[in-house]
Amino acid sequence: MVLHLPEADQKILDNKSLIVKELNRFTNNVLSDNDELRPYETDGLNVYKQKPLAVVLPENTREVSEILKYCYQHNIKVVPRGAGTGLSGGSLPLKDCVLMSMGKFNKILEKDFKNRCVVTQPGVTNLAITQAVQDQGYYYAPDPSSQLACSIGGNIAENSGGVHSLKYGTTTNNVLGVEIVLIDGTILRIGGKHLDSEGYDLLGVFMGSEGLLGVVTEATVKILKKPEAVRAVLIGFNSIEDAGSCVSDVISKGIVPAGMEIMDKPLIIATENYAKAGYPRDVEALLIVEIDGTASEVEAMIQKVLDIAKMNKASYNKASNSDEERMKFWKGRKAAFSACGVISPDYICMDGSIPRNKLADVLGYINQLSKKYNLRVANCFHAGDGNLHPLIMFDSNDPKELKKAEDFGADILKYCVKVGGVLSGEHGIGVEKRELMCEMFNNNDIQQQLSLKKAFDKKNLLNPGKVYPILHRCAEEGRIHIHKGKTKFPDLPRF
Amino acid sequence: MNDIYSPVNEKEVSDFIYECHKDSSPIEIIGNNSKKIGRVIQCSKTLCLEKINGIIEYFPEELYIKVKVGTSLEEIENTLDSKNQTFGFEPMDLGFLYEGKSRGGTIGGVVACNLSGPRRFKIGALRDHLLGFKAINGSGEQIKSGGTVVKNVTGYDLSKLVSGSYGTLCALTEVTLKVLPKYEYQETFCLYGLNHNEAINFFSTAMDTSLEISGACFYPADNTRFFRLNDIKQNNSILSLRVEGPKTSVQERIQQLRKIFGASDYSVLDIFQSKAFWNLSKNLELFKNTNEIVCKLSLPITNASEFLSKFSNDIKYFIDWAGGLIWLSTKDVETISKMRIFSVKNNGHLTIYKSDDNYRRTEEFLTCGDTNFKILSSKIKKSFDPNLILNPGKMYAGI
Repeated sequence: MVLHLPEADQKILDNKSLIVKELNRFTNNVLSDNDELRPYETDGLNVYKQKPLAVVLPENTREVSEILKYCYQHNIKVVPRGAGTGLSGGSLPLKDCVLMSMGKFNKILEKDFKNRCVVTQPGVTNLAITQAVQDQGYYYAPDPSSQLACSIGGNIAENSGGVHSLKYGTTTNNVLGVEIVLIDGTILRIGGKHLDSEGYDLLGVFMGSEGLLGVVTEATVKILKKPEAVRAVLIGFNSIEDAGSCVSDVISKGIVPAGMEIMDKPLIIATENYAKAGYPRDVEALLIVEIDGTASEVEAMIQKVLDIAKMNKASYNKASNSDEERMKFWKGRKAAFSACGVISPDYICMDGSIPRNKLADVLGYINQLSKKYNLRVANCFHAGDGNLHPLIMFDSNDPKELKKAEDFGADILKYCVKVGGVLSGEHGIGVEKRELMCEMFNNNDIQQQLSLKKAFDKKNLLNPGKVYPILHRCAEEGRIHIHKGKTKFPDLPRF
Repeated sequence: MNDIYSPVNEKEVSDFIYECHKDSSPIEIIGNNSKKIGRVIQCSKTLCLEKINGIIEYFPEELYIKVKVGTSLEEIENTLDSKNQTFGFEPMDLGFLYEGKSRGGTIGGVVACNLSGPRRFKIGALRDHLLGFKAINGSGEQIKSGGTVVKNVTGYDLSKLVSGSYGTLCALTEVTLKVLPKYEYQETFCLYGLNHNEAINFFSTAMDTSLEISGACFYPADNTRFFRLNDIKQNNSILSLRVEGPKTSVQERIQQLRKIFGASDYSVLDIFQSKAFWNLSKNLELFKNTNEIVCKLSLPITNASEFLSKFSNDIKYFIDWAGGLIWLSTKDVETISKMRIFSVKNNGHLTIYKSDDNYRRTEEFLTCGDTNFKILSSKIKKSFDPNLILNPGKMYAGI
């Protein structure tokens, strides 16, 4: 697969052995042999592969700072990497880059129940934070599907959400402070155990910045007390329109569920075969609604949701009567991606965000596209906050299919923008959606963002080639068509 | 008085800023000039955004409202109210602080100051509710960021950066804010006669439950007279815990608070008194008409006791955000200097909300102990406003 990345600097490539020797001065963990580099050549978006010049695995903030400073002084590009589970290619290496893996930053530093926070190194997994505090009845709210493996540092880079972000927000709403290192080696502490430092909200702008502004070396995250009661209900519908309108009604009646997910029929069947969660196989759409709060509140709300579902012609419902049963409901949903992996050799997972009332409209369009491209698609939505994850299935052994799948995905995202949504809800832009940024933003908007990037990284050395279109300006027609390896606007400056 | 220019549309704002940018001519940006906040700055021109007003779109079922920045907070809140919705972050009406009466100002001003009320510790600050915006940067270019949806990782989250940037990065023209359904019911559980150390421990006990407390403040004994509510016991310190939600759930949770804290002297405020209480508290009516310097001090909860042991005799104060925020006033600038040092040392932040013009001109508005943070802030300012013409010096001297 041809993917245009910033041109490799031949001088850097030629100097590999010297650079590796120098890097060894700062840390004991430098990898540079081809075999050692292989595990780092891709992330969760594994259709793209590229080995870096070298991999470093620093063990403390000082090492991170020294390595970055060295790279900055010698104009060497740096790509940061967490657990490598990202789905948009945000940590795809460049041929001439030093890949900085944060895997050795794997310790929880402090559990502070009085201030209701955890101070952690960025390589700690999302789930490990909850596991560390659950004996005291606390948890960390954002719960991306990959929470068993994905790291907090990566969550910060992509502003990860999860099924419970409807009520509890995404990473940006749950991180109180960070220690970051800028590309020139400057160490900055932003925020901390308190709320709201005045001054520019560097913490806020850092969340979801996809590793372009700095490297996280420590994070202070908010922990929440577990709710007294939690129940989930499965509701089946004979049409996706009815399911979509049920979601809108629940929200407009003033109910804020902890989570509200829709799966379409192909996904229900796939997950049921794979995870045996007990989903009905004879419905077109399945809605999972989870309510938390005090016991009586949960009872009352579940009843309200069921009443609303009935008005929207629900054909099936089942409420959980125990935590085990509730976890079983989620087991299917959380296994959605793996289930697709079983029924198709390959799939790509898209991630658009749209206004809730457009769910049925967008799904109808996705089904039309599925026929047009002759590729199967299964859909799950974080319906409560309008975040779609169409899973497009294809076979990468047929090179034409990957291209078709990518075009299919791009068409979906363009349509999301057209109906008032955005290109990414929680996976980030990375390299995957980079060229679509001009669908959403005009040249002024993009230039402003690039100008901000320069304030953090004036040489554009940190994770270049990600998020923003590879051309300097938005080309007139949005997505850049690459023909025979040549772009249509060879004269325009690149960054 | 310098020239005040009041454009009526985005294009006029853009043209005006573009001209000023070419001449490097500094501009003070105002809404309806209701907040005397930030450093006093010298500008030859004033850009008033009050006439850029009106609600652009409001979709209650989509939980957002898109408005032009000059729209008054009052008009927006009334519109939301008509659909039984509200802003979750409880925007403060600082009119009582500056003029002794209600004057909420424009939504642009509320966003520029990131004003968030008592529910902040539970539901986030204003910055967590700003979904997107349009603005004119310091070069006169129209820019936008974000959108109308809650989940969005499409480029840098500039909404966070402009919230609380006091008009120093761009002139906002349009903002999209998340709205929430109003809670059906609320009550407030008040405990009396505690000292500040006990109060902070009680906050901790209350927050270590699943009761979803959505307001938690403490007023020492001599600062409670302005509440004048039937069920408030006067001449005592008050610790208040607000519970919101469906009625049966609220009553159950209040019952649980009785079980936990019933041994102390307490009362329960009904829905009407509870609403009145939190409005008075949110709008800083404790400091109504004060001539003292009023500060907001954000601290880790565990440092609040130490702070109050050191300074409580020299200040008038109340605690909010379950121990994470102290609002205070004092006449003595020396005390403020000492508190600034304390806040920097203890990883907190002190901001001056009200003071005389002389203090605003000569002293720091914010408290920044980190040179690297200031250097980066300066670079960020320039990335939006290369000639430093938008509210220059409003946040920090020289930035």
